[in-house]
Amino acid sequence: MPGERDNEEMVLQETSTAQVADAEDIDLLLLKDSLAKTPWERMQANDDALNFGESLRAAMQKSHAKLK
Amino acid sequence: MQNLSELMRRLVLSRVEFVLVGGFAAVAHGVTLVTRDVDICCRFSEANLMLIQQAFAELHPVHRSRPDLPLQLTPEQCSRLKNLYLKTDLGVVDCLGEVLGIGNYEEVLINSVEVELPYGKCRILDIDALVRAKEAMNRNHDKITVMLLKKIKEQQT
Repeated sequence: MPGERDNEEMVLQETSTAQVADAEDIDLLLLKDSLAKTPWERMQANDDALNFGESLRAAMQKSHAKLK
Repeated sequence: MQNLSELMRRLVLSRVEFVLVGGFAAVAHGVTLVTRDVDICCRFSEANLMLIQQAFAELHPVHRSRPDLPLQLTPEQCSRLKNLYLKTDLGVVDCLGEVLGIGNYEEVLINSVEVELPYGKCRILDIDALVRAKEAMNRNHDKITVMLLKKIKEQQT
């Protein structure tokens, strides 16, 4: 429906320019996602974030080594 | 199940024009804080946004603040969007058209370094630009990140 599409476009523009954080700069959507997980799922997500970070750090170290 | 490496792999293999910014860029430089979402600055052209859409197509991408809205970009939307806050089956990706304290994608690109990941090359905001961006954001966790980045720079020199 064209009306629905227009409405979606308006919402998209709003979400595109809006901040996803609250007045205290806390990303409440991320927090909500975290709270929707079980403690075990949160620990797994933490592991995944750490592993991803470690792979980035290793890649950065390798690029520094190449420069030297 | 979150899998941020897979999100990154899809961006790289789909040849999306992007620079990794935000918390994971800081982690790449050695910051020890944990972060959850992947922040990228990307070219907000129709072609590039469509590549992002394609990269995440199988992962049920939705707009983070409106999870009832699946990612189904039209050329008209692409021309007007400033940012894309996405949630996928494998995690959250915030796509930014510009970075506070640095500027638009072109400026961010100039201030980035290339690193080799197991699945291809990717660009990451360099440490000086990251400090500037975090100082401009000036949120509580940004202040801690800036302190750590400055310590890391001291250690490297």
